[in-house]
Amino acid sequence: MKYAFYPGCVSRGAAPELYASTMEVAGRLGLELDYEPMKTASCTGSGVLQEKNQRLGDTLNARTFALAERSGLPLLVICSTCQGVMSQANKRLTSDPDYLASVNEDLAEEGLEYKGTIEPKHLMWAIIEDIGIDKLKAAVTRPLTGFKVAPFYGCYIVRPSSALDFDDNPERKDSLERVIEAVGAEVVDFDGKTACCGFPILTINQTASLTMVANHTGEAKHKGAMAMVTPCPLCHLNLDGYQPQASKLRRQEPIDLPIIHFPQMLGLAMGIDPQAMRLNKHIVSTTKLLSTMALTP
Amino acid sequence: MYEHDVLVIGAGLAGMRAAYTASQNGVDVAVVSKVYPVRSHSNAAQGGINAAMTDRGDAWEDHAFETVKGSDYLADQDAVEILSSEAEHEVISMEHMGVIFSRDEEGRLATRAFGGQSQARTFFVADFTGQVLLHVLHEQILRLGVRVYEEWFVLSLIMEEGECAGAVVMEMKTGDIHVIRAKAVIIAAGGLGRAFEPSTNALICTGDGMALAYQVGAPLMDMEMVQYHPTTLKSNGALLSEAARGEGAYLLNSEGQRFMERYAPNMMELASRDVVSRAEQTEINEGRGVDGCVLLDVRHLGEKVIDEKLSQIRQLGIDFAGADMAHEPVPIRPGMHYQMGGIKTDVDGLTNVPGLYAAGETACVSVHGGNRLGANSLLDTLVFGRRSGEHAVDFVKSKKHANIDDSAADPDREQIRAMLARDGGGELFGAVRRELGETMNNHLAVYRDEEGMRTAFEKLSELRARYEKVVVHDKGKVFNTNLIFTLELGFMLDCAEAIILGALERKESRGAHTRTDMPDRDDENWLKHILISRTEDGETAVDFLPVKITQWQPQVRSY
Amino acid sequence: MEVTLSVSRYDPDSERPETYYQEYGFDIDENATVLDGLIKVREEIDGSLALRCSCRSAICGSCAMRVNGQAMLACNTRLADVQPSNGGPVVVEPAGNMGLVKDLVVEFDLFWDKIRAVKPWLQPEGPEPEAEYLAPSEDMLHLSGVMSCIMCGACVSDCTVLEVDDNFLGPAALAKAYRFVADPRDGADNERLGELNEYGGVWDCTRCMQCVEVCPKDVAPMDRIMAMRDQAMEAGYTNTYGARHAMAFADSIEHSGTLDELRLPIKTFGIFNIKEMIKLAPVGIKAQLAGKRPPIFHKKTPGVENVRRLFEKTEKVENDK
Repeated sequence: MKYAFYPGCVSRGAAPELYASTMEVAGRLGLELDYEPMKTASCTGSGVLQEKNQRLGDTLNARTFALAERSGLPLLVICSTCQGVMSQANKRLTSDPDYLASVNEDLAEEGLEYKGTIEPKHLMWAIIEDIGIDKLKAAVTRPLTGFKVAPFYGCYIVRPSSALDFDDNPERKDSLERVIEAVGAEVVDFDGKTACCGFPILTINQTASLTMVANHTGEAKHKGAMAMVTPCPLCHLNLDGYQPQASKLRRQEPIDLPIIHFPQMLGLAMGIDPQAMRLNKHIVSTTKLLSTMALTP
Repeated sequence: MYEHDVLVIGAGLAGMRAAYTASQNGVDVAVVSKVYPVRSHSNAAQGGINAAMTDRGDAWEDHAFETVKGSDYLADQDAVEILSSEAEHEVISMEHMGVIFSRDEEGRLATRAFGGQSQARTFFVADFTGQVLLHVLHEQILRLGVRVYEEWFVLSLIMEEGECAGAVVMEMKTGDIHVIRAKAVIIAAGGLGRAFEPSTNALICTGDGMALAYQVGAPLMDMEMVQYHPTTLKSNGALLSEAARGEGAYLLNSEGQRFMERYAPNMMELASRDVVSRAEQTEINEGRGVDGCVLLDVRHLGEKVIDEKLSQIRQLGIDFAGADMAHEPVPIRPGMHYQMGGIKTDVDGLTNVPGLYAAGETACVSVHGGNRLGANSLLDTLVFGRRSGEHAVDFVKSKKHANIDDSAADPDREQIRAMLARDGGGELFGAVRRELGETMNNHLAVYRDEEGMRTAFEKLSELRARYEKVVVHDKGKVFNTNLIFTLELGFMLDCAEAIILGALERKESRGAHTRTDMPDRDDENWLKHILISRTEDGETAVDFLPVKITQWQPQVRSY
Repeated sequence: MEVTLSVSRYDPDSERPETYYQEYGFDIDENATVLDGLIKVREEIDGSLALRCSCRSAICGSCAMRVNGQAMLACNTRLADVQPSNGGPVVVEPAGNMGLVKDLVVEFDLFWDKIRAVKPWLQPEGPEPEAEYLAPSEDMLHLSGVMSCIMCGACVSDCTVLEVDDNFLGPAALAKAYRFVADPRDGADNERLGELNEYGGVWDCTRCMQCVEVCPKDVAPMDRIMAMRDQAMEAGYTNTYGARHAMAFADSIEHSGTLDELRLPIKTFGIFNIKEMIKLAPVGIKAQLAGKRPPIFHKKTPGVENVRRLFEKTEKVENDK
């Protein structure tokens, strides 16, 4: 299956592990990720740009959709935030023909037009809806038996449910758990699963942001999780990068809960070398986890 | 013991309007309410508020006449003249306070048509006018810093030397019972809809205010006049606003016919509520209904109009009838909605008990008589809420507090102690309430007769006896809703008594009181109000008052 | 329809108050709501169950509670829609982020304090006109979207920031504030925006969309908060971390097409804000050691001139408005 591949800013910036691991697992799932059509695409605006100027955000996303449409390929993303921001923009654009037409006027100068046919899709959803859980299972060479992992979705891939078409695709609601089970791991359910990681207010209200990190990682750890897996690199930045500070904030022992990217989990189950997926490049060390699982980084 | 010059019971529109006025006049006023102010049932008034504005070619006299005609000539015309002539001022005041009235293209207040009126004079905020008025008045109460005892439940009024001296109140969060001493008490506690099942009314509409006044000897007037609203949902009795018909909705029977052409050929769906409800009930009774209902059809208005002006009722249809009005007609039927009667007051809200005022649905001034026009209830709450506040301000200036102390609450403390001490084996309040509601709805609805009303009266005695034995499961102090609901049921039983007695007394058909055994209006004998009161020895007494007629002699009523 | 409710109970009058779950099973109409079920319990099965409820039609705001973990109104939630597919009970719990009073009744004092804190009353400019204020119809229509708020507290219950910082004004109070900021008759916009720009105001929202998801009246509090952020910046309140973050973000996209993560904190805090930069430093250093640091020379996306052109265009449209 071939996709126009939109990697997003973070996988090529602060979370290169995500990019590396995505590339590692794509082939084994029979995915052809074509970056070429997305080469000139911009950031989605991440919700931040939309605060200032929603129309601008929608126009930039319409441009990305038009680029994907031109390639004739479906659009694949690997970030919860990209997914959510794109889905919201797409809903506004496709539910109001006048709005779409006026946005298209702005795109015309570049020779682009968005016809409204794109459905941006996260790798996690694509596995369930396009590729098939069976195909994933077939690619698993080393089932993650005994691996207790807490799912952490990231806000934008669960809310608002209306923009994400949960009504038509109810399996999206627990897609992460479905994949965890498919690779042989065990789901550790916890309250923070669909909560906010705190990243958006990291520079504004650091205490609140870090408290969120401490609460979610602490709760998952307390419930027996050996690691947390997330389809959102921004959540990863906060949950992994700021976990040591968050632990200190709560004046407690280091929480020490490895946070792994969604494709990294797939890769482990496919027997891919952890180092190739840069599992050794995390802030919270994965060494102990990997050795427990009899994998060496 | 707490103390205020003026104590308002109820934080709906009438209560907050009274408190606003008193506060602005520098009087120490407090409000006590069993729910947070914005939970009050004024919320439910969807369609709008009537006002005849002179600058758009309307005349208050026309509004007054149509109100009188709508009342089937039972309203007091001096009161109606005040209601309609002060309407413009009230609407503009509320706009200045911040109400986001819907506008026309020039940015001026827009109007819509409403039932029983020849002019479009109903001012509105989409279809949630009451909610916005309530929230905006609450904003003003916050601005003025008026003390509101939120979630405090009034148990009784305190009488001292024949005057009202305050109230005994339970703080729900602690269960503590307090005395609030006041020089004047304004009851603005809303309606009694829950005495009927089903009803459009909220669960808090349990007639507390009317019963409290009745218990201290203030007469209740026109209590037999109970309005059935023409468009309520079968499933839970929820109201679909008259705004739908105001915007042009059709009423259809099972044959797809706009049957109102046979009952009110000129006004059609916009005839007075009693007329439309009778028409619907007749269609249903004669076999032209759809599963006990008729159909409300707005499809021809188009989705845009429906979304801009009727979005809330569209949602109600989806939530509670499973029908999207934009695409299909919704089954509706007449449902108990409003009590025209209430505590008898004069045009300044003063009851027959010195120091005791009433305003809003709790009160009967009377401006609605036998049938209230749509969009006159919000107006009633504001005009007479304000007037009671104004009069109370003057009244308390020359008055001293009564000589009472905390022991004034002892009888209530003892009553509640006894209630909680009842044996755990008896029945809960629920069955008694439901049977009361069903009895009232079976026998005091759109059509009535002697036999049915007698049956209801007998049933009421049985229910009263059972009520004395009802047990309260929750023996705790904190937020004992079990106790509150049981106390409310007591209030409803008192209200039901006054309704049935009034209805048995009125030997004619007028307004909402339509007797199949006496189908004609009888102006010669019954152009008068019926007052029901309870004497000091616990007996009921019936009294009469002539209707005040100023400009409009009774005529044959047709729409 | 057979239904089992698992209801969270808490009795403060008991000797050692603690939360526990009580199951109630009964038969009820297919169309019955969660509230119908709870009323059936308190009227027929167990009178001691405490809850607030009144209108039964989603206008009074009394009955917000958590059903299966998410805040909603009990009165407009059909039991059939929330019955778990695994045959388990429907779990009914009190709203979150507010203290517990009893069973499903929560403490609302803090909720109203926050509403009061935004000075929720119209502050008109100049003398009152004799008749009504003239106001554009579309402005009033727009306001009705936010005045639909019934103060039920569902958004507050599930707000992820309030869970960790109760200084935050929260979605309900901020939506209420917006009702005045967006009211053409209100003359205190600048003052209001200035106050909302402080700690606990519009910038503390984490944009998690919980409030948008759970609001039973489609008020979309978060969207109102975002609108006020923009208005605050337009009004010149740009000297906050939040405002600088938003502007730096937009700048980065405009100039390179993508996000420049390295420069974002510098621009947010200001290059000379040593204190805040040091706070971030340990992570920066660790990130460098771990090989995670974003590239120092942020590369421009090819064809970024097209992105810039769209910036200019839409900003012009915004300004013309």
